[in-house]
Amino acid sequence: MRVQSPRDLAELFEALQTPGAQPLAGGTDLLVRLRAARKDGVKPLPASLVRLDGVEALRGVRREADGALRLGAASTHAELLAHPLVRAALPELAAALTQLGSPPIRNMGTLGGNICTASPAGDCLPPLYALGAVVELASQAGARRMRLAEFIAGPGRTGLKPGEVLAAAIVPPAPEFQVRHFEKVGRRGALAIAVVSLSALLRLERGRIAEARLAWGSVGPTVWRCPEAEAELVGRKPTLAALSAAAAVVRENVRPIGDLRASADYRRQVAGNLLLRLALL
Amino acid sequence: MPLPSPSTPPRADALAKATGAERYAFDSIPEGCLHAGAFRPGARLGIAHGRVRGVDAGAALSIPGVVRVLTAADVPGPNLHGIIHRDQPVLCGEVIRHAGDPVALVLAETPEALRDGLAALRADIEPLPGAFDAAGALKPGAPLVHAGRKGGNLLLRAKIEKGDARAALKNAPVVVRGEFFTPVQEHAFLETQCGTARLLPDGTLDMTLSTQSPFRDRFEIGAGLGLDPLSIRIRAPHLGGGFGGKDGATVQCLLALAALNAGGRPVRMAWDREESVLAGFKRHAVRLRCALGADTDGTLLAHDCDMLFDTGAYAHLGGEVMELSMEHACGPYRIPNTRVTGRCVYTNNPIAGAFRGFGVAQASPAFEGLMDELAAKLGMDPLELRRRNALAGGDVNGAGVRLNASAHLPECLEAVAAHPLWAEREAWRASAPAFTMRGVGVAAVFNGMGYGRGLPDMAIAKVELTDAGGFRVYVSVADMGQGNASAFALLAAQELNQPPSSIELVMPDTERCHPSGSSSAGRTTYTFGNALIKACAGLRAKLASRAAMPLLRDTLDGLALEPGRVVHAPSGKALPLAVLARFLPHDDRICVAEFLMPVAQDVAGKAEGFLIGYPHLLFAYAAHLARIEVDGLTGRVRVCDYLCATDGGRVLHRQGFDQQAQGGAAQGIGYALFEEFRLDAGRSTTGDLGTYLIPTALDLPDIASLAVDGCEESGPHGLKGVGEVGLNGPAPAVAAALRHCLGDAAARRLRRLPFTPERVLAALKAGGTARNRRRA
Repeated sequence: MRVQSPRDLAELFEALQTPGAQPLAGGTDLLVRLRAARKDGVKPLPASLVRLDGVEALRGVRREADGALRLGAASTHAELLAHPLVRAALPELAAALTQLGSPPIRNMGTLGGNICTASPAGDCLPPLYALGAVVELASQAGARRMRLAEFIAGPGRTGLKPGEVLAAAIVPPAPEFQVRHFEKVGRRGALAIAVVSLSALLRLERGRIAEARLAWGSVGPTVWRCPEAEAELVGRKPTLAALSAAAAVVRENVRPIGDLRASADYRRQVAGNLLLRLALL
Repeated sequence: MPLPSPSTPPRADALAKATGAERYAFDSIPEGCLHAGAFRPGARLGIAHGRVRGVDAGAALSIPGVVRVLTAADVPGPNLHGIIHRDQPVLCGEVIRHAGDPVALVLAETPEALRDGLAALRADIEPLPGAFDAAGALKPGAPLVHAGRKGGNLLLRAKIEKGDARAALKNAPVVVRGEFFTPVQEHAFLETQCGTARLLPDGTLDMTLSTQSPFRDRFEIGAGLGLDPLSIRIRAPHLGGGFGGKDGATVQCLLALAALNAGGRPVRMAWDREESVLAGFKRHAVRLRCALGADTDGTLLAHDCDMLFDTGAYAHLGGEVMELSMEHACGPYRIPNTRVTGRCVYTNNPIAGAFRGFGVAQASPAFEGLMDELAAKLGMDPLELRRRNALAGGDVNGAGVRLNASAHLPECLEAVAAHPLWAEREAWRASAPAFTMRGVGVAAVFNGMGYGRGLPDMAIAKVELTDAGGFRVYVSVADMGQGNASAFALLAAQELNQPPSSIELVMPDTERCHPSGSSSAGRTTYTFGNALIKACAGLRAKLASRAAMPLLRDTLDGLALEPGRVVHAPSGKALPLAVLARFLPHDDRICVAEFLMPVAQDVAGKAEGFLIGYPHLLFAYAAHLARIEVDGLTGRVRVCDYLCATDGGRVLHRQGFDQQAQGGAAQGIGYALFEEFRLDAGRSTTGDLGTYLIPTALDLPDIASLAVDGCEESGPHGLKGVGEVGLNGPAPAVAAALRHCLGDAAARRLRRLPFTPERVLAALKAGGTARNRRRA
């Protein structure tokens, strides 16, 4: 297996033309899968790995003209977490990054990797969905943008075309939302895959909820939204009674699966329960 | 965590380990070695019990670098090994009895060729119906794990009886009952099972192993492969963890077989994590059904306990683990009437064996769970109930053994009772924020030391004056990280009146060191330490008297060993040890001594079924406290503070003592809250450390360790072994804390470890007594 290390986008797109080329971001997920594939001797291995970390255009954080933050896909979790713009403008993403993996994983893993792995448990995904993030995809043909929620098609499936890479996530910081929350329920304090997670944004007008955006991780094939629960909250104060009513709607609508980490029933119960935490904020 | 005081020497291995300089067996990769790996097809085929119809090595042998593929037909000798019961094939030729059973052994030039060779091997295995739970395996018509075995799937049935527990329970004013389940636990040591082997031209099989039992391994290998055990040499460098999982053959027989077929080349075998989980020994899963009877004032009257052990595919130490579990089943309490019955059963699950807390960690959640239940029923303070019944010196324990040795559980309980974490427990409970419940629980635990009656628990120590005038200790018991080697360096330095820096340790080597028992059973420092003190005392006296001639003394009076020299105090004359060493022939510069652990003589109870190893005389005791917080929305339990008060006799090295308490508590918190070994028809679905979760640093609180005053007269400088007792406390202490915050009804639903968020949330919902749930 070859490893190619392009230094700019032109070299990157060139390298991706090699038959059997596979982009390599932080490798925290891919290398684990390649090791397992080698051991089994069943699945074929990619002919080459194309490193993304040397391509400067894929890294860094900057503010776009409309105020949205452009997060380079090859930025590591640790870099994003240390960035003052991310910390100040995207507190729910920062909270998710704090709980992602462990320090070594955060030093290697990237935002783009977390998105393109498209796991229902990807820690960055619920905040990005709630914030209405857009992804920028780049290829020799140029760049295109699409909503993250459309880009991710299912577990491990995205709208990436051959020869295309994820260049950045563009995230509107949504300062009009006063209540901003992220919570991850894992089986332990670090190095845990989310059992359920919730990112919630509430915009209040005169003490009442004018807009609610709720996005759950690990309760469906992709991040799950619940417009019925959001509607239940609108017009009410964020009291325990209102949140309990919305939680009941969540439990009624959510269709999680059971796996090693938790049963479907537990996920259903907790997906609703997590809303109650908003009563404290 | 407090740093050791400057007067405490650091562990002898601290620097080497902190800097990565320590060489473990895993680091041994001899030049030109072959790499050996076992082919365990059950996992890949999804078969835990099956008939081996054939192994196709064709494709594997065509891979460049694959040298040999060995099968059962290549195994010389009986092809059966085991510590006590020899029932485990080195390579399976007819039947695989669990998903990790090996049917072939591959030798290859490189790790890559080995990996590809293993991936290319094919086995034809016909699935057989399996026995996957202990209760089911005892039913008539259950599939037999060892076809044709007399006794079927029942490995061992045993009973301990003292007084008349059934009658006493019938008449007891208060009786509580419960059924408890404790799960399989994975050792999850950092250094997986590994070693190297080479057949030397003189016929010696020279091995370096990550093992707790170098001297005994020779006999297990010899029996399995039909070799002369005394032609096998084993070295055991520092282990990267053992916890019981390296007591008995892991890589041993396979490596020896590989070396016999390697044309004199060295061979290395190192399991990866998945193989370690698949094929390594585990903690036994146990079902316990118990009843505890008491008087209205809380005085215990009777305990009846029935235990069902799942030993997996092979006996390994199943019977012995159950023995110790049964001996501890009634808890560290004075109870006049006891009855404990146990059955240990073969299944097609992974092989269970020794694990820190050796059966006692399975018993403690039950005996302490019933104590809390009793306290609740009596409306009594749970700590007070324990104090009222705690075993002390001179008492007779549940197995009928009179404790003529040190027993300071009451002092452990006093230490906890006096601690602010206990005193402030109600304030802690009342301080819970919204959606949160807080509680504090205590547990009293104990753990027997040594092999028990019927087995010689012996160690032989050798100490030598080196040419340079320093001292060399030949250590016969492995150090798996628990720090016994440091303790030996310290004991030798004290006894020889030398600075610790002058003591050099030779780690276990069956050719250079004297035969001794294993590093296990809380006996390592105790037994070898006693032998070492005796040897050092002998050498000290010998060297002082040997100096009489060169110092021109006509009596031995006034001659004494001092740092680096022998001194005649009255005259002030001194002889450097380096000179004395040259003055003496080598054979005269050594001293060897042995120690044999005392065994129980005064036993009132009756026992049936145990062959050896019952009962025990010496015990370490501890009281543990857990202060926890439960999130009512998710069921997540956080251990916020933890306290251990341990009776380990006199403390030799405070840092080592505290580390044992803390390490045991950490592993016990994992057992209580996180570690869930899942099986599906005998196949592990938690086959790596991404799915089998052990606690991280973020999941563990600081663990305070208190030592109570005590002295075990038979121990080295009054010491007892404390390696195991610490693991037995966390599960019952956390359960008690859950009872404190969730109430009795919820606690009754929490009798299956681990207390996962899911189980806690379900108990919370069903219990419905949560105080603070709606306080927001």
